[in-house]
Amino acid sequence: MASSDDIAIIGWAVSPMERRTAKTEQQMLFEVVSDAVDHAGITRADVDFTVAGSCDYVAGQAFSFVQNIDAVGAWPPKRDSHVEMDGAWALYETWIRLLAGDIDVALATGSGRSSTADPALIYPMEMDPFYLAPLGADALSFSALQARALLDAGKVTERQMAEIALRSRTSAKDNPHTQVSGEFDLDEALATDYVRAPLRKHDLPPITDGAACVVIARADKAREICQNPVWIKGFAHYSELHNPGMRDLLTSPSTTLAAKAAGLDEAPVDFAELQVAFSHEEVILREALGLEDDTPVNRSGGPLAANPVMASGLVRIAESARQIREGQGRRGVAHATSGPCLQQNLVCVLEGDER
Amino acid sequence: MTAPAAGTVEMTIRFPYKRSLGPVIGAFMTGLASQQILGIRNGAEVMCPPLEWDPRTGKELQHDDLVEVGPAGTVVSWTWVPKPSAQHPLDRPFALALIKLDGADTSLTHAVDAGSLDAMSTGMRVAPRWKAERQGHITDIEAFVPGEEPQGLDDVLPDEPVAMMPYNAEIPYTLPIAVNTLRNAAALREHRLIGLRCPVCSRTYAGDRAFCPIDTTALTAEHEVELPQTGTLTNYTIITPVQYPGQTETEPFARCMILVDDSDLVLGYQPVIDLPVDQVRVGVRVQLVWGDTDIDGWQPTGDPDVDDPDLVNRIY
Repeated sequence: MASSDDIAIIGWAVSPMERRTAKTEQQMLFEVVSDAVDHAGITRADVDFTVAGSCDYVAGQAFSFVQNIDAVGAWPPKRDSHVEMDGAWALYETWIRLLAGDIDVALATGSGRSSTADPALIYPMEMDPFYLAPLGADALSFSALQARALLDAGKVTERQMAEIALRSRTSAKDNPHTQVSGEFDLDEALATDYVRAPLRKHDLPPITDGAACVVIARADKAREICQNPVWIKGFAHYSELHNPGMRDLLTSPSTTLAAKAAGLDEAPVDFAELQVAFSHEEVILREALGLEDDTPVNRSGGPLAANPVMASGLVRIAESARQIREGQGRRGVAHATSGPCLQQNLVCVLEGDER
Repeated sequence: MTAPAAGTVEMTIRFPYKRSLGPVIGAFMTGLASQQILGIRNGAEVMCPPLEWDPRTGKELQHDDLVEVGPAGTVVSWTWVPKPSAQHPLDRPFALALIKLDGADTSLTHAVDAGSLDAMSTGMRVAPRWKAERQGHITDIEAFVPGEEPQGLDDVLPDEPVAMMPYNAEIPYTLPIAVNTLRNAAALREHRLIGLRCPVCSRTYAGDRAFCPIDTTALTAEHEVELPQTGTLTNYTIITPVQYPGQTETEPFARCMILVDDSDLVLGYQPVIDLPVDQVRVGVRVQLVWGDTDIDGWQPTGDPDVDDPDLVNRIY
């Protein structure tokens, strides 16, 4: 039974996932915020605190979040914040804020139009500006270096990586909020050229425009508004040092620390939604989280089926809430990541009421 | 009338940064200009590239405890880049690799100019190929090459220690243009000033606003109103231009807030015409002056100033 200090997800919305939307980021946000407060059964006026997660380098505009506020809704003046992080970290900030106890309802958004520019040119901007960015080192290249390290260590094979991608995209067939779904022939896929050896096209996420919004409330308010709140049982994030050349790429200690802090090991989970943008990352994350072999991962398809950068982690949390509410499990774990080679990791443990 | 479909605009943003290097990275870059690769001692380990702090504990390291490493090293991991981007150090296919230089315990990320993917393997030995023109930059090493022998060695030393580093990136963007912005641009081409009236609160916003910020209501073609082309200057700033990339002004100029008549939100950062900077003041009545496709600026009408002490507060 939840105590009055507990906090629950009471509503959410995920936008269509498209290769290139004609909508501005502001319009995408307007729609997901409207849908999420509707879904929660409240209005924007009931929301006490808003936090947005987005990235100016992706948006192609300095301080792009300032004009996004009009779409979120900030009148009368509202407590508002922004993180230059995935919306999952925005949700973390709303959760921390509600723990203070003086306000009851908050919402977090994540939004990104990855189609604005070539990811190979955008993502070096997030790297060490002295040693890495001047080499044009991007997230895709670093992921390939991590995949190679796993292959060399015998922790995965290229076929197993392809199987992870195939399973994800097959699961995505039933998800309306997805971009790439369906089965493909494993042998044909493994015969294709590398995009960044040892990564082939199927090991990579699609380039996706999309947004998501999640609404949370303190327990008493959540019970008042909502028939079946999804409880946030634990929420934590840890970061490792930045430069992948100074890390052991075979493991993700920050994921393990975040899972421990979020109480993941207190009871088994029925499913996991992990921010696996590159197929091999599932192997590292499963191990770092201590998941059982039969725990279903990314029944939504995950980022390999739709990867709206800056919203992809928040979508994992929204998807987990949906699966619990729809009875596909009572306890689940959502994961989000940021930075090259899984530098920073967030873990959110969710539970539905006992039935 | 059917609304035009949303279009797109293409633009390139340049990031011309100059970065201070500090004592440790500065020494490393000075080393590169001298064809030396330096690491820093961190307990029993040597870190290359060097940092000022242990990145695991945050403990400050002895900044001058630098040791030469390499020049050859071992490939710890690698990937193949078949189509280099404009930001990559080589314009032909190459490997990006983690290289543990001899004497170092961490890996340096750099390019390996191996010719083909088949020439790459984990554990292979590589050595730097130096550029002839060096400036104290990570790309003073043009790339690593297979083998033990560094290439391009000379005896040219930098004139002085390297303290700054240029970083130039540019990203071409394709951004969507909202339907309201397209309609507003079409109106401006016809020398019409339009606004959008919120169906909930009836406030009127000049220009192409997508949402009423008060009611979070979407504003669309049906809310469009024609506005008079006169208004009042409510606030201003005089800018003395500093010459940064992209600045074309050379003399002090004004940017003004204009409250268009019959509207509720000022137009920001508007230029003024026939109003010298020493005569710009709150309350001046102004009228629109058209350029070919857009507003050229606002010019005094000659009418008496509006005397309203609250006017100066209208900055939104």
